[in-house]
Amino acid sequence: MTDSRSSLIMPNSSPGQAPGEATPRCWSCGTMRAVHFCSSCGKVQPPVPVDYFTFFGFPRKLNLDTAALEKEFYALSRHLHPDVFGQSDDRERAWSLEQSSMLNDAYRTLKDPIKRTEYLLRLEGVELEEQSKQATEKARATGELKKQVVPPDLLEEVFDLNLHLEELREQKKAGEDDPALLEEIGKAKLSLEEKYDALFGELKTEWNAWDKLVDSGTEAGQRKILDAMLDVLNRRNYVRNLVRDVNEALE
Amino acid sequence: MSYSDKVIDHYNNPRNVGSMDKKDADVGTGLVGAPECGDVMKLQIKVNPQTNIIEDAKFKTFGCGSAIASSSLATEWVKGKTIDQALEIKNTEIVKELALPPVKIHCSVLAEDAIRAAIGDWKKKQETAKPVEAQAAQ
Repeated sequence: MTDSRSSLIMPNSSPGQAPGEATPRCWSCGTMRAVHFCSSCGKVQPPVPVDYFTFFGFPRKLNLDTAALEKEFYALSRHLHPDVFGQSDDRERAWSLEQSSMLNDAYRTLKDPIKRTEYLLRLEGVELEEQSKQATEKARATGELKKQVVPPDLLEEVFDLNLHLEELREQKKAGEDDPALLEEIGKAKLSLEEKYDALFGELKTEWNAWDKLVDSGTEAGQRKILDAMLDVLNRRNYVRNLVRDVNEALE
Repeated sequence: MSYSDKVIDHYNNPRNVGSMDKKDADVGTGLVGAPECGDVMKLQIKVNPQTNIIEDAKFKTFGCGSAIASSSLATEWVKGKTIDQALEIKNTEIVKELALPPVKIHCSVLAEDAIRAAIGDWKKKQETAKPVEAQAAQ
């Protein structure tokens, strides 16, 4: 893995090409090229629409070596930096700028485990809001009840804690102090933080299942894993917002 | 993003905030959440079992202004309607009424979900209540 990544600056294979696209040729020398630079003459290339994994030459896997990612990011940053192209022609300068900006976006997205997961879901066509809307339309048409993506007991917990927080805020405003309420909120916060950590563990289990599928090259079962990841992220959103609200209220 | 006047009005003066006894046989409770933003919405209806008309509705929403406005409007709309009429309310009508921007459409979806969930809960209570009444009558 490390070997193929270290050759990213001048790749001679084609990990940087969008799947299914005709092999792009270098604008300058005409040989086959990769995403950022021509493998033959080394000239910067116009950006091609590739996903962020491909941009870095990574497979679409979620367990990602962030140290390697960082190393690659810095190496590419240096080579793509617009300053390097001060003496080059306008096209190259413009391309280096575009490539640099895509590099930054790609790095920021892949570096963060949650952003990386959300990005993969989008890449794989999992659109949460669209799904939710369609499920509501289906419920309207069939008269069946829509299955809520967030489990009812979690919703109850979220709702009750929000009520407590509201109470706390009102007490604070009135200058009152209720130790029992504070204790209850404190306890709820601990349980939430545990949940939050556990959810990341759950997410990693799905990552492993996904990566295994990518390695084996099978598409069967992909959807199930993607849906499971979405489910974990959904619950995580709730817990994250709540922890944030609790912290704000306790300040 | 700026809110429409109607959203601001509902946000500042939310209608029908509150709660009802969820154990009451005539009360249906819908508790729903939008994972996109972490909002949570509770909508309750009180139904006259003779006429199937929703006589009262209450809500409590923790979320953004659009979510509060959507649920506030939803309680206004369901009041006085029959169960069947209330089931016809579409999220797109809420979007139109409140002039919600595309990024806030999920708030209207949430409000429609809440209405359906509350009605579903009430219906379930009616079904489980019937056999008991029948037994009592014997």
